[in-house]
Amino acid sequence: MPAFGSFALLVALALSGYNLLAGAVALRQLATGRRGGISPEKLAETARRAGIASFFATACAAFALVWAAFTNDFSVAYITEHSNRALPTAYKFAALWSGQEGSLLLWAFLLSAYGFVLRARHKVDVKLTAYASTILAGIQVFFLLLVNVAATPFSLVTGAVPPDGNGLNPLLQYPEMVIHPPMLYLGYVGFSVPFAFALGALMMRYPGEKWIHITRRWTMVTWLFLTVGIFLGMHWAYSVLGWGGYWGWDPVENASLMPWLTGTAFLHSVMMQEKRGMMKSWNVWLIFSTFMLAILGTLLTRSGLVSSVHAFAQSAIGTWFWVFLVITLAVCLFTYILQRDHLKTEHKLESLVSRESSFLFNNLVLLAACFTVLWGTLFPVLSEYVQGNRVTVSAPFYNRVAVPIGVFLLFLTGIGPLLAWRSTSLRSIRRNFMLPAIVGLVVAIAIIPLGVHPWTIFTTDEQGAFYAWITFAMAAAVLTAICAEFFRGARVIQGKSGQNLLASMVELTHRNTRRYGGYIVHFGIVLIFIGISGQAFNQSHEQTMNYKQSFKLGPYRVECLDYSQDSNPNYDTEFAMLNVYRGDRFVTKLAPELRVYAVNQQPSTIVANHSTLVADLYVIYAGKDPATGQPVIKAFLNPLVAWIWIGLMVTILGTGIALAPNLSAAIAAQRHRAAVPAEPVPAGRAGD
Amino acid sequence: MTTIACGLLLIGAFLYVFWPEKNVEAQHQKTRLEFLRERREVLFDNLRDLNFEYRSGKYPEEDYASQRAMLENEAAETVAEIDLLESDAFAPQHG
Repeated sequence: MPAFGSFALLVALALSGYNLLAGAVALRQLATGRRGGISPEKLAETARRAGIASFFATACAAFALVWAAFTNDFSVAYITEHSNRALPTAYKFAALWSGQEGSLLLWAFLLSAYGFVLRARHKVDVKLTAYASTILAGIQVFFLLLVNVAATPFSLVTGAVPPDGNGLNPLLQYPEMVIHPPMLYLGYVGFSVPFAFALGALMMRYPGEKWIHITRRWTMVTWLFLTVGIFLGMHWAYSVLGWGGYWGWDPVENASLMPWLTGTAFLHSVMMQEKRGMMKSWNVWLIFSTFMLAILGTLLTRSGLVSSVHAFAQSAIGTWFWVFLVITLAVCLFTYILQRDHLKTEHKLESLVSRESSFLFNNLVLLAACFTVLWGTLFPVLSEYVQGNRVTVSAPFYNRVAVPIGVFLLFLTGIGPLLAWRSTSLRSIRRNFMLPAIVGLVVAIAIIPLGVHPWTIFTTDEQGAFYAWITFAMAAAVLTAICAEFFRGARVIQGKSGQNLLASMVELTHRNTRRYGGYIVHFGIVLIFIGISGQAFNQSHEQTMNYKQSFKLGPYRVECLDYSQDSNPNYDTEFAMLNVYRGDRFVTKLAPELRVYAVNQQPSTIVANHSTLVADLYVIYAGKDPATGQPVIKAFLNPLVAWIWIGLMVTILGTGIALAPNLSAAIAAQRHRAAVPAEPVPAGRAGD
Repeated sequence: MTTIACGLLLIGAFLYVFWPEKNVEAQHQKTRLEFLRERREVLFDNLRDLNFEYRSGKYPEEDYASQRAMLENEAAETVAEIDLLESDAFAPQHG
């Protein structure tokens, strides 16, 4: 199998190379009108097919590696390093992306899978797809070169084949780790497609904005994958790393956030190009940057350039990535300079109070956030280069900048949809902003007696309560604005169809899935903001606990019932059994664990969490007190965290709705005719 | 076994890529007329959105009237150019 895997990778590289070369020659011939021995259309068709075939070859290689993991083929060095016989089956599958070589193979495989779909759907626009396919083949060649030359997943062990492997990193032995990396990679890799279309459209001076329409679903699906990937990573960090939080501004977390920020900016600003032919250069550079940041993210995760708890694989492939980034930037810059006159804007910004300006501010804010994260992430590298010593930027720096930016973004999320295109009059502002502003104000006042005291910013160094207060008030205003949009639209449908309000809202959403799906995404994002704001009120307590000893944290009393240890072939574990009470009422049992994996003697924390909509009681087993041999229990009370995960679910739902096709007005009218029999139906038209 | 699998992969890929295809899709450059038709659809969509938002009570009468006039002007210019190009394209065939 290893030999077959290696051969399949070589075939995939040859096929992608042919796709790139033959595709480029064919497009050049078509552009100049010069013809060779074979017609350019036929040459382009062979290039397209080579791209499709490269998917099958890469799939064969990925299959060969997974097969080697499942059959415990320790003649393959990668399997020896990342798997062992006692590893549960699901984690053997995860071995595909747990190391350097495997994760690069996953990149190549996902890229070729995206390419397969793109090339199979070429009839949507044959010429534009030919350009995009050729550009995508260029990216494929880079990743296939990496796995064929610099990071080969099928290298054999030297000497005798070991009887067992070193096992998977214990931090990765968690159910979400089977889904998180592929999701994140689907997000990273997916941005290659809108990038390829944007660059292709610019190269061929594609008239109009149809390329945006073609790539809209690609971009949204990719954005969704990246969003889910980031949040799964947060949930994994929360459940496994055992420090009580979900986001630590770790360089690898930052690496996934940066393309998400620019990708989100792109999703918003392309609407201006579609609707009004504005911001063409901006959009092109946004998607170029998003793609390059995705590559930078892979570089940071895989090269060991920056220190991170997530950098599971480190090697010298950084040079390859830097060269690729420089080539990509050069191609983008050269194409842009050559074709920039094609990107002239059709309209200018007419007013600072308009939907366009809200999109522009949204973009600037997202880019400011991206730049802050990029600066903080690369600062250790830059400081080492300039001063000779590595200065690490920690969470307070990011929080100081990112929190106000986030609050401003929340504000824009609320006002953007209420503004009119071109310009908004004072009358319109009064009409649409009054209700959200009143609700925001009422909530701002109502939460003060509940313990949200914004004035602490003036009496202490603590800013959390102040920003949480603003966020809660703003969130209430934005949620009101979103609900008002649904209500207003549904009333119009209700007036025509006579349906109840809820059915009218469903139909409204179905008629314009993009807009109302987008509002639901905003709803989800607001819930996430509410969840994150809860951080300002976190509490914690640490105590060595003997039998029947207890401590109080917030409304809970935690009592130690028992502590013990256990063993299985994969790991040894120590755990405590805790009873949780609220007043005198028993709430739940919690059993935090500390595992030590047999194969590599690495420890791993298994958190016990009692989650409610109000707060999480998050408990970890922090080891044994050396003096008494009793367990040290650390507990956190984290308010509102559940809303982050609920917000993610709503965001997924909203994106799913936005991806669905619209119900045409004609079909809706037909439904209404069918639902109201008293209304006369013209002869011969019923059921048209 | 490995040799056979490698051989099959290589031959399969070669045959798939170079198998003669008679009906190759033509790669034509998008015309101005096609671009204008797309633009017309976008403008009509914008008008539909504006009308709906007005009926839902989002914009006052004066704002709606001015927005609508601007969009209608733009749409009229686009439709006029489409008519012109269509009549030009139609004329030589029947001339």
